[in-house]
Amino acid sequence: MSSKVGPDPPAGARRAPLLYGSAAFVSLIGLADAIYLTVEHLSGRSVRCTLSGCSEVLSSPYATVGGFPLAGIGALAYFTVFSLATLAAFGYRGAGHLLMLLVGAMFLTTVWLLYLQAFVIHHFCQYCLLSALVTTTLTVLAFLARRSR
Amino acid sequence: MKRILPFVIIGVVLALGLLTAWYLQRTPAESPQPTPSPNASPDASPTASVAGPAEPGAEPPHALGNANAPVTLEEFGDFECPPCGLVHPVLKNLATEFGPARLRIIFREFPLVPTHAHALAAARAAEAAGLQGKFWEMHDIIYEHQKDWHEAFDVRPIFEGYAKTIGLDVAQFQRDNNNEIVERRIFQDGKRAHSMGVQGTPTIFLNGRELPFQSLEPSKLRELINAELAAVQH
Repeated sequence: MSSKVGPDPPAGARRAPLLYGSAAFVSLIGLADAIYLTVEHLSGRSVRCTLSGCSEVLSSPYATVGGFPLAGIGALAYFTVFSLATLAAFGYRGAGHLLMLLVGAMFLTTVWLLYLQAFVIHHFCQYCLLSALVTTTLTVLAFLARRSR
Repeated sequence: MKRILPFVIIGVVLALGLLTAWYLQRTPAESPQPTPSPNASPDASPTASVAGPAEPGAEPPHALGNANAPVTLEEFGDFECPPCGLVHPVLKNLATEFGPARLRIIFREFPLVPTHAHALAAARAAEAAGLQGKFWEMHDIIYEHQKDWHEAFDVRPIFEGYAKTIGLDVAQFQRDNNNEIVERRIFQDGKRAHSMGVQGTPTIFLNGRELPFQSLEPSKLRELINAELAAVQH
């Protein structure tokens, strides 16, 4: 990533910092969600949720990758998104490009996880659905921010 | 300043994230005063606290082992909770290994409703079996077949099948599922759970001190029980 602060945005691209700032804010929701799930996973407790299905999803084999909770990977991803979006909002151009790549990968992962919940596990977890919503919003924001540059 | 500011913001969020994780992990220890046993072993530091005196729970409790055994493991469990299903064989093996004179295991009902659609029905089935003196038989068969019934739409015929398998009077079992005693026992165990700060399942107390989930693996539990036995003997 470039460590150089970019030039002031052109008149038509003033929306980009706002969009990146929004992405940074939205990623905090995903980060909080993922931290909660990670802590609950590591403590081994059944999370409380209003939808029936959290336990089935969170205790399924898909909830871990090599013994590491998927939610923990999600927390790292959301923190990275927050960092890149913040840098991009401050004009670090390379950050915007990396953000688009990361968010794109997260979106594809989200689609796969939604597929698993719907057709393999046959249960939905509200925290996972919130994460899917956050990732989708981030994808839209990152895309719009890239286009506005 | 503009160059540094984003890194400051990122650092602050990182610190807040770590603090949040730390706080969530320690949440059970934040409430008033833990009541450590005088026989506390160093490894089994209390992680939960009791807000005021603990409710007694259903009496008599479902217990394996002698009432005067030096070590008591009290589990708050939900029959539909997958981690509880994993802990079940661990506790069963420990009960055999240490024997009734040294280890007492108590099971308390803590069905997570509405998270688990059949948890309450399973708790009722176990308590109903208990009225015919076969709580543990039903407890074992329900846990050991957890994967067979938790996806079912209607679990009653399945549990009635288990009742038949373990030799219960099925007609009596059916009636007892809605017995007031069954309801009251589940309610009383729930009250005890809340009074002891139980927030999820499985939650296990070793001589009154909540164990972190990480210590529920067989070797760690064995080590904690041995430490407790050693502390009692001195």
